[in-house]
Amino acid sequence: MSLSAKLGYVFIAPALVLVAVFFLTPVVLTGIFSFTNMSTATGITGGAYQITPSLLRDLSGNGFEKKTLDTIGTESYQVSQATLQVAREAGSHLDLLSELEADHLGSNFKNRREFERFLKKLQNRPRSTRELKSTSPHFKKSLINERFETEIDLRNSLVEMQANLSEEQLNTLIQAAYTGWIWTTDNFHKMVILPETKQILFNTIIYVTFTLLLFNVGFALVLAIATFYLPKGQAGVFRALWLLPRISPSVLYVVLWKWLTWDTGFLNAILNPLGVAQRNWMLDTTLNAWFFVVLINGFIGASMGMILFSSAITAIPKPLLYASEVDGANRWQQIRFIILPQLKWPILFVTVYQCLSLLTSFEQILLSTDGGPGSSTEVWALAAYHSALDNYWGNLQYGYGAALALVLVIIGVIMSFIFLRFFRFQELVRQPRIEQ
Amino acid sequence: MLKTSLKRALTGFFVLATAASLPFGQAFARDLTIQVWAGGSNVADAYRVDAITMAADILEREADIRGEELNITVETKYDFDGWGGFKQAVILAAEANNAPHIVVTGHGDIAPWSQSGLIRPIEDYVDFDSWPLNDLFENLIEISSYEGVIYGVPQDAESRPFFGWIPHLKTIGYSDADIRAMPGKVQRGEYTLEDVLNDAKKIQDAGLVEAGYGWYPRVSKGGDYWQFYQSYGGEMLDSSSGKLVFDKAAMQKVYEFFAKAVEMGVTRKNHIGTPWDQWYSEVASGKAGLWHGGTWHYARYTGKEGLKDFFGSVMFSLIPAGDSNGKANTITHPLVYLVTNRGSEDDAAIAAQLITIASEPRINTLHAIKSAHLGIAKSQQSVPLYANDRWASEATVRLLPYASAQPNHTGFSPYFDAMWKGLEASWTGQKSPAQAIADVESELKVQLGGDIIIR
Repeated sequence: MSLSAKLGYVFIAPALVLVAVFFLTPVVLTGIFSFTNMSTATGITGGAYQITPSLLRDLSGNGFEKKTLDTIGTESYQVSQATLQVAREAGSHLDLLSELEADHLGSNFKNRREFERFLKKLQNRPRSTRELKSTSPHFKKSLINERFETEIDLRNSLVEMQANLSEEQLNTLIQAAYTGWIWTTDNFHKMVILPETKQILFNTIIYVTFTLLLFNVGFALVLAIATFYLPKGQAGVFRALWLLPRISPSVLYVVLWKWLTWDTGFLNAILNPLGVAQRNWMLDTTLNAWFFVVLINGFIGASMGMILFSSAITAIPKPLLYASEVDGANRWQQIRFIILPQLKWPILFVTVYQCLSLLTSFEQILLSTDGGPGSSTEVWALAAYHSALDNYWGNLQYGYGAALALVLVIIGVIMSFIFLRFFRFQELVRQPRIEQ
Repeated sequence: MLKTSLKRALTGFFVLATAASLPFGQAFARDLTIQVWAGGSNVADAYRVDAITMAADILEREADIRGEELNITVETKYDFDGWGGFKQAVILAAEANNAPHIVVTGHGDIAPWSQSGLIRPIEDYVDFDSWPLNDLFENLIEISSYEGVIYGVPQDAESRPFFGWIPHLKTIGYSDADIRAMPGKVQRGEYTLEDVLNDAKKIQDAGLVEAGYGWYPRVSKGGDYWQFYQSYGGEMLDSSSGKLVFDKAAMQKVYEFFAKAVEMGVTRKNHIGTPWDQWYSEVASGKAGLWHGGTWHYARYTGKEGLKDFFGSVMFSLIPAGDSNGKANTITHPLVYLVTNRGSEDDAAIAAQLITIASEPRINTLHAIKSAHLGIAKSQQSVPLYANDRWASEATVRLLPYASAQPNHTGFSPYFDAMWKGLEASWTGQKSPAQAIADVESELKVQLGGDIIIR
């Protein structure tokens, strides 16, 4: 390899690292998460093993004998030679243990609270809450609610209890007791049969199509062409104004829209005296919500197309335009036959780029309608966010959210290929014939 | 060589001198930093975390008396970006083994966080038979438990009453005596949700409030809406099997109630999503007729919103019954102190002791009164600051004995999401109540399978 080629790799290395860290890794992790039932409850980094009362209730109708489940699940505290030995080895207070051995050997207690109440009445009682609390667990004779870090620990404890479990039952119990996540394809199954999937798919198509066609490409073209025919100074001011939505912080930008539209906002302040009933214009109907969602996103998106199209129009050789004017072409004919044909590639680029970014963007919708009213503006990316990261009662569904995101990635990739083919991207990147 | 020996001798001398200067029996100092994060809190709720700082001072003094030197630095934080931001912060910090030692959060987090091992059972570190924990309301301890284990200590209590603007009620024909009797009538089921809509219509028709302001509910998703489910006899949890319950008939009546409110014009179709600031200012100034909120709203109405004569202006009661299947009720959503898996067992024990001290009646009363929440312990009724506060004492007696809570269950999160989507859809007219119920049912079957009883 030549030195210059090596240098090329050196120069590109930082970019490769960034791509790997900020793009590939999240995509790979999303792919992995989407095939799990991961949630707040299962945790991300692994689980433990715990036999809970609910678990035993579920198993009671599953071929397990009641007596067996009672042996495992009934909480009891016993003063026996075995439990005293455990307490001794753990370093519990010897005077207390001697008193227990001498006077209370064989005593049984229903639960921890009862046992601790008993301990507090002894002559050599634990003299601090810490001591009391660290002593009592050694006398426990049940596995209920005990947390085992490994499967082997739980298996050994179950075997030690002589709970009369078959190997199959032992495995079922251990599997059910696992608190962590497991591999599953349920997320995709769920996605197919949930009625809301159709709704969010439909919403996404509406959102992307209208914002893209009306604003990101359509309005951007209008702006670029209009400013092209304006005097330079005025055009600059006009373009700068349209950049404001893009450079404003999202939260501030959306709050301004809310001030405009809410019940006591600017629109109502003007319309109310004219006899129009006060209302929240943004959330009044589904149509209102979509109108503002498209507008809020479109005003941000239009600026990028405007800049690209403006620079492309400026690059059109002026003699072409002068010649057309000599031939008597009007403005519309200039636009139709000279400007638009020259903008084919920028339009391709803006369409592809903005379509893909709209597919994954949701922050303005989150801040403005949060998917409402009802779920009428809940788009796919927002649904993924809500599932995985923002859930009122706190059990975040990482697995399902990741599955939704993965589908979005797949749709994005497929659409990229379709776009590239449709717009004949090969021709764009073909080497100019003059250099061949 | 000589230099090294001299150095060693000097070090030895200093160590001995320092040890000798310590009073007999005094151990070496223990320095500890305890982090406390509280969710859903603002300046008025600062005692949720400040109480731990106060507790640290007391614990240090107690240690000093025992001859131990304990230095606890408490780092507090409560200004999170809403509940969502708080929960994300806690969960992500915990996955990075960097969670705060103590969190103050809704009791609903106990189920998922205990399963994931994020929190430790507090009953392993504190004695619920000793003061002040033996003085806590039993139902609050039950709400702080999961699978028979006590995971948290209740930090506050509240409930979510039905409110009415007294001057408007008088204008539509209620006498002072009627208004005084109203909470009792609600409690006995003599004033129902149907009466709520009728009175809201009367208030509106009398021109006292604008259209859509007669019945002015909460503006965002919240546990409050489960109260209406209970008003129609719905149960959230089947106590014998531990499974969630979706009572289709009761839920459909809830959806129909709100859809009817919109149809009658007493509630706005686009009410959900109204900014909270606007809502507070409207309900505290008589722009709404009847509404429902939380006991903590008292602080906002009489504070920031400047309502001078609360008791002369606002009637409060339980949420009325919907029909003969249900009854008047209210839901309490206590926040709880939880000890996380951060740090050693000793750290956890100290964190738990701090929580215990912070739960002493006098300290907890500071939070209860400052933030207009309700107390957690019986003896708070004897703490002058609490007993002399009309709101705290009346609300405690009128509401708390009838308060229930949402269940601690890992499946309640998707259940709540599905229920809310259905309510919003029927409220805004996207779906008929029957269609919304059918969609919720199919979603619950997929999401929860055998964890929910559908009837």
